[in-house]
Amino acid sequence: MKKLVTLTVNGITHELAVEPRRTLLEVIREDLGLTGSKKGCGIGDCGACTMLVDGVATFSCLMLAIQADGCNVETVESLAENGKLNKLQRSFVDLGAIQCGYCTPGMLMTATELLRRNPHPSEKEIRRSLSGNLCRCTGYQKIVDAIKAVAGE
Amino acid sequence: MILPEFDVLVPNTVAEACGMLSKYADKGVRILAGGTDLLVDLRRPIVPSEISSCDGCATHKTGNVRSTIDCGWWESDSSPESDRALLKKVQDSIHQYPGYLISIHRIKELRGITTNEKGSLRVGAMTTVTEIERSDIIREKWTALAEGADSLGSPLVRNRGTIGGNIANARPAADTFIPSVALDGVLVIQSEKASRKVSVDKFATAPGKTVMEEGEIITAIEYPAPPEFSGSAYYKLANRKALEICNVGVAVWIALEKPGGPVADIRVALGAVGPTPILAESVKKVLIGKKPDEEIIKKAAKAARDDARPIDDHRGSAWYRSMMVELVTDRMIRLAVKRAEGEA
Repeated sequence: MKKLVTLTVNGITHELAVEPRRTLLEVIREDLGLTGSKKGCGIGDCGACTMLVDGVATFSCLMLAIQADGCNVETVESLAENGKLNKLQRSFVDLGAIQCGYCTPGMLMTATELLRRNPHPSEKEIRRSLSGNLCRCTGYQKIVDAIKAVAGE
Repeated sequence: MILPEFDVLVPNTVAEACGMLSKYADKGVRILAGGTDLLVDLRRPIVPSEISSCDGCATHKTGNVRSTIDCGWWESDSSPESDRALLKKVQDSIHQYPGYLISIHRIKELRGITTNEKGSLRVGAMTTVTEIERSDIIREKWTALAEGADSLGSPLVRNRGTIGGNIANARPAADTFIPSVALDGVLVIQSEKASRKVSVDKFATAPGKTVMEEGEIITAIEYPAPPEFSGSAYYKLANRKALEICNVGVAVWIALEKPGGPVADIRVALGAVGPTPILAESVKKVLIGKKPDEEIIKKAAKAARDDARPIDDHRGSAWYRSMMVELVTDRMIRLAVKRAEGEA
């Protein structure tokens, strides 16, 4: 039986009827059509599905939509400002921190949480906070550089 | 792989949750905390690999996966003995898939880190590992637990995973479980009728098995106040720094009578070297009442090695683990002694 869930996603409040077994990732991709967040492993290893739920970086593949009822969810689509990439996204592009791009939404959201909590992280702190986001292209150095470039300002 | 079908119940209080646990017990019910273990377990293939294909029945073509609902094969098949065993397997696996999940994220009383006037610590079962990692008071006084939280999974796992769930799953390598044994934690377990306390070191009985009974829920973990001149440490020996399960995990808590003086009490917990985290009792006999010098710490580490019961698996051989238990215990006792003396 479907249940009613209220989700605020990127500032817009939605009331949705969802099957209890569906994950936040499935609902946001399939019902809301926000396909920026990716499904990688589906078991909390890769971090491609990372969203901010009430400001906390969360893998949305291991959170049921029902558990996010009443929460404020931010996905990668929320980052661009007035149709323009934000500083962090720009930095990823400029420094080549994207290869195939599959991990990028998750990396950006994890980095966004880190920079909010700690605007000037050390390289060690950046690496530690990214340790749950995997990049199969192994482009980690450039991702760290891109975040450092923003953090240094 | 989508999740199997289940309904999710969201109680607002522990009492409500306990009521739901007993009400739906016969339909299969599990408590959903952070979901970092449970939602992964539920994703395993619904049809066990041992189930053979259908030989053709009223609703199936030959070669389809046999189903207990459609095929009716257990009544007609020629070898009833093996089929009964097979049926049991299917039913067991169905039983593992609960009809109801009770998501306890709304229950406020299950969250938070508090200390009381006696200086003891209470960590709510739904407290996330990240909250423990960032708690200054835990890092200062129950250091081993903070170090366990540091090393668990990845930041994303820690943001969702809870200490109650980590302990309830009763894995011998659980990074908050092992320090909780060394720090003499006590689990507060609630059911509809009663509340009881179980020492963390007596909680697990086998991998994934615990003393918890149907209808019970862990509400908190309590840790005694650390006496003067005491300290603790945890080290996770693993191949990677993140997203890893330890080869060997050792947590040590030590109390000295005075700096440099004899050992008043010690608790060493060994992880991933037995079916449950092991409290190394023989270390107590070696160290209590003695000055923790080089020689005696070596002896204590050997005693810990004798208490460990490691097996060979893909993370390491029993032989390697035995050696590492000794090495890591040695180092952790030294570190805990330093901390007890206020040096580190």
